[in-house]
Amino acid sequence: MVPPDRCFGSTKIAYFVVTAISSLWVVACSAPRRTVIAVIPQTDGTMLWQPAHVGAETAVRGSGLSIYWNAPAREDDVEAQIDLVERAIDRRVAGLVLVPDQALSLISPVRRSLAHGIQVVIIGSPLPIPAGNNLSYILNDDVAAGHMAAQRLDVLLHGRGTVAVLGIDPDFMGIMIRERSFEEYLAQHDPGIHVVDREMGSFNFPQQQQIAQTTLRSHRDLGAIVALMSPSVDGALAALASMHVRQSVKVIGFDVSGWPLFDRNLNLDCVIQENTRLMGQKAVEIIEAARQHRPVPTQVILPPVMITRRSSDAAEVRWMFSQDWTLGRSKWSAQQ
Amino acid sequence: MRGRLHWGLLALAALLCAAFALVAMIVWRHSPRRGLPYRDSFAAGRADEWRAFGGDWELIHGMMRNDSDERGAKLLAGSRYWRNYSVEADVYLLGDSGDAGLIIRSSDEEQGVNAYSGYYAGLRTGDNSLVLGRADHGWMETSRQVPVANGIRPFHWYHLKLLAYDCQIVAAMSAPGDAFHNSVSIDDTNCIRSGRIGLRSYSAGGIWRNVIVRTASRQDLLAMLKGTPVLSELTVPDPLQLESLNNPDTSEEQVNGLPGGTVRTIRSLRLRFLARPAVVTIRGVVVLTTPRLYVQDATGGVYVQNPPGQPLKLGDEVEVSGEAHSGEFSPMLKHATVRVLWERTPMPPLSVTAAEASTGKYDATFIEMRGVLNGWEHGPGNTLMLDLQDGPQSFRAVLNPGRSDSLLSRLKPDSVVRVRGICVVDPVLTGNLTPFVLLLRSNEDLNVISGPPWWSARHVFAIGVFVFLLSIGTFALYHRLENWRLLAIMSERARLAHEMHDTLAQSFAGIGFQLQAIRNRVPDGMPVISQQLQFASELVRHSHEEARRSLATLHSEELQSEDVLVALDQCARRMIEGSAVQVITLREGEVRGIPLRIADPLYRIGQEAIANAIRHANPATLTLRLSFRKNSVSLDIEDDGAGFVMGDGLHGFGIRGMRRRAQSISAVFNIRSRSGGGTQIRVDTPLPPRFGFAALPGFLWKITMEHRTNVRARANSRIYSR
Repeated sequence: MVPPDRCFGSTKIAYFVVTAISSLWVVACSAPRRTVIAVIPQTDGTMLWQPAHVGAETAVRGSGLSIYWNAPAREDDVEAQIDLVERAIDRRVAGLVLVPDQALSLISPVRRSLAHGIQVVIIGSPLPIPAGNNLSYILNDDVAAGHMAAQRLDVLLHGRGTVAVLGIDPDFMGIMIRERSFEEYLAQHDPGIHVVDREMGSFNFPQQQQIAQTTLRSHRDLGAIVALMSPSVDGALAALASMHVRQSVKVIGFDVSGWPLFDRNLNLDCVIQENTRLMGQKAVEIIEAARQHRPVPTQVILPPVMITRRSSDAAEVRWMFSQDWTLGRSKWSAQQ
Repeated sequence: MRGRLHWGLLALAALLCAAFALVAMIVWRHSPRRGLPYRDSFAAGRADEWRAFGGDWELIHGMMRNDSDERGAKLLAGSRYWRNYSVEADVYLLGDSGDAGLIIRSSDEEQGVNAYSGYYAGLRTGDNSLVLGRADHGWMETSRQVPVANGIRPFHWYHLKLLAYDCQIVAAMSAPGDAFHNSVSIDDTNCIRSGRIGLRSYSAGGIWRNVIVRTASRQDLLAMLKGTPVLSELTVPDPLQLESLNNPDTSEEQVNGLPGGTVRTIRSLRLRFLARPAVVTIRGVVVLTTPRLYVQDATGGVYVQNPPGQPLKLGDEVEVSGEAHSGEFSPMLKHATVRVLWERTPMPPLSVTAAEASTGKYDATFIEMRGVLNGWEHGPGNTLMLDLQDGPQSFRAVLNPGRSDSLLSRLKPDSVVRVRGICVVDPVLTGNLTPFVLLLRSNEDLNVISGPPWWSARHVFAIGVFVFLLSIGTFALYHRLENWRLLAIMSERARLAHEMHDTLAQSFAGIGFQLQAIRNRVPDGMPVISQQLQFASELVRHSHEEARRSLATLHSEELQSEDVLVALDQCARRMIEGSAVQVITLREGEVRGIPLRIADPLYRIGQEAIANAIRHANPATLTLRLSFRKNSVSLDIEDDGAGFVMGDGLHGFGIRGMRRRAQSISAVFNIRSRSGGGTQIRVDTPLPPRFGFAALPGFLWKITMEHRTNVRARANSRIYSR
């Protein structure tokens, strides 16, 4: 016969085991989950949107929030971006910061995010969805950007000459806005400057280079090129370099995907850059404010920054192009 | 109690063994050395352990090749618990505007450019440098770049080695045959401690071979830091392969030069050259490179036969000049020369149905469609051929050998899949078995949308087997419970018998002794009183005998085994104790065990029959016979006593009870008797069949029927008792 105390001992052990397992389960389930904000730019691995990662990480520093950063492998891979948005919805993120790859295709996924109560901030280029109801926009002032390009062109050509506009892409409302504002400004203030060629843009650098070469061959007296997107800028500069065109043909570029290398590209006059770092930072701040039930702006318009040969080393420009999104978390020393 | 303790200890030991095995398995799985050293099996055409995240990975000529210039395409393998180790491989860049290299300590991977946590070292053509950095769903590169003296050239082999020891990561590279050596290292304070290996390319395709992973020690780390050359120990590249790979036809000038000549659309070739082939030039995007080269433009696709052996990537925009031959559904270019114009993003597929594709309208075109997987087989050259169905149309999807084998574990017949590939109606490939075949580019061109429906024949069979086994289990449990119930009843009867023996029977004996004592003291002159005492003593003796018989029927210790006959024999001998009745027991047929649920009623019926015979028939001989047949057993209780006239007072002899017990076991109960000619009682009951799957359904049916009969019998007995 088992003595009563031994029976009680085994019962006690069983109780202990059950209690321990239950406690572990309760602790595991009740452990606070880090609130995640998904930041999905047009693409990753280029220098245009990496500063937005820096800005987002800066904004969440010390807040207990964390950033989930991922993007399609190509700027035009809309399907992959939609898939990422859907996954963010499934993960029940606290907020979504999105740089849409296409104006129309992202409408439904964004509306679905809003229907799930996710605070959404669209940065860079707008979508045709009215702001409000958890949707905010942080946009580049593309009207001002177009005006800046026109004003700069006026200075370069002294009010007379021809210009080709490359990189027109209807997928991005921002690009279309800047193109229209550029031409409207020219028509209004510089009637002596004529737009002689308008070419569609894409994210294919060699194709953009070929388009630029064709444009240069077709218009031998071209005074300047306005390239509205990064591959068009690179394509135009490569075409000018390969054709040994005179340095007087100047390029005004938009949104380059890296530090503007004026020394290597003598034809490059200036770059009108959207402040992606500030966009990423403000977007996350808006989501954080919404979580704390503070009033949030429905639309923020950020002025673009014109970077010239002279201002390229300015502190503001360095701050804009900062790449260290780890903000010192990864402390390493490199040696060769 | 000791038995319980024994079982408890056994259970505890089993539990401890299971826990130990579990812990051992967990330790083994988490071991940082599990699977090390590792060497790829690319040369043997196997790469099942590798998992792709983006890109277009295929095994070609014993080497892993990514034909896509997707940014950050990666292929991963190994254990996420690998800690201190090195990975090295020969790396070959397929483009001049990107990088290719190796990943170490990777985890948390997703599809995306930098969507993983780990370290990456790559050879970059843009700035001719060896790059090293850390990805954590974002890319952080070492600030110090390592320029390579002779530059990083596409279409050349390099050997790259990456080592992680504690928080020090070292990358080194060299070119086979070159004396120079470049390395870079980082000391990452908050480093990633463990993870898998990977192959990765960025904006340029690549080829990898001789991937070797070894555990690393501090000495290995120091050796790399000191700059020990890292030339491959194993690589002696196949000169022919190197020749073809190192001398691509695409020169810098060709890539950047402008195309010339009259360029036609692919559709325009279809009917124009029916009568006489002519040399033409078309421009389009490469949509398939192996096993055939297909180029597509906005108007359609074309098969380029026997192209020169130059490396082409999916998405390359090319200009093809060759002899145009019009096919029935699409043209073909023979003796073609291919000029790469530029790289571009791969063309998206057209989404069509099998019915549309079967018209031939989409021949040589990159399409996407859904289908139900009917099966698969290996075709010529170990290709994997999937048989698919979309509505009434059947078609095949063909995958190149290599990684396709790893698909098989994910594929199940009747799954709905989405496939992307080049639609080909060429009878050489279709064999005229299907209207068209799809040539898939890689495993990633096949997605399983949904698994097979649950009502497949296999699942229904499995469910049937499960239900069948569950029924057997339920019935087994039911019978076990019934046995327990019967044992409990018998145990209670025995207890009652003991109680009655100790109280009632002893009291009768006591009363008998007392009456005998009084009778002995009664004077002789009181004959009436003496006679009354004699009568009372007889009455007590008779009651005592009755009580003893009742106790004998309650006592069931005899029925410990299935041997009903032995038990009945003992019972009979006890009842006739002191008389001259002869008891004969006979056993016939092949003896087999009788379940307790049958044995107990049989015993009770036999007991009642014996009691009746002894009480009422005054027999000289009592015969007990148990006869076994194939599926039944019968019990005969026969006496040569007084007998009775059938039909009169049958219920009075406990026959009703015997009949009810017989019904409870689906037995046939017969009684034969005639006045002065003895009585024969026969119970014929079916036995469960001997165990066999064929007999199980019948057995279950019989048990069910028996159960219903029992219920009815109980109901009837309740009615009778009222």
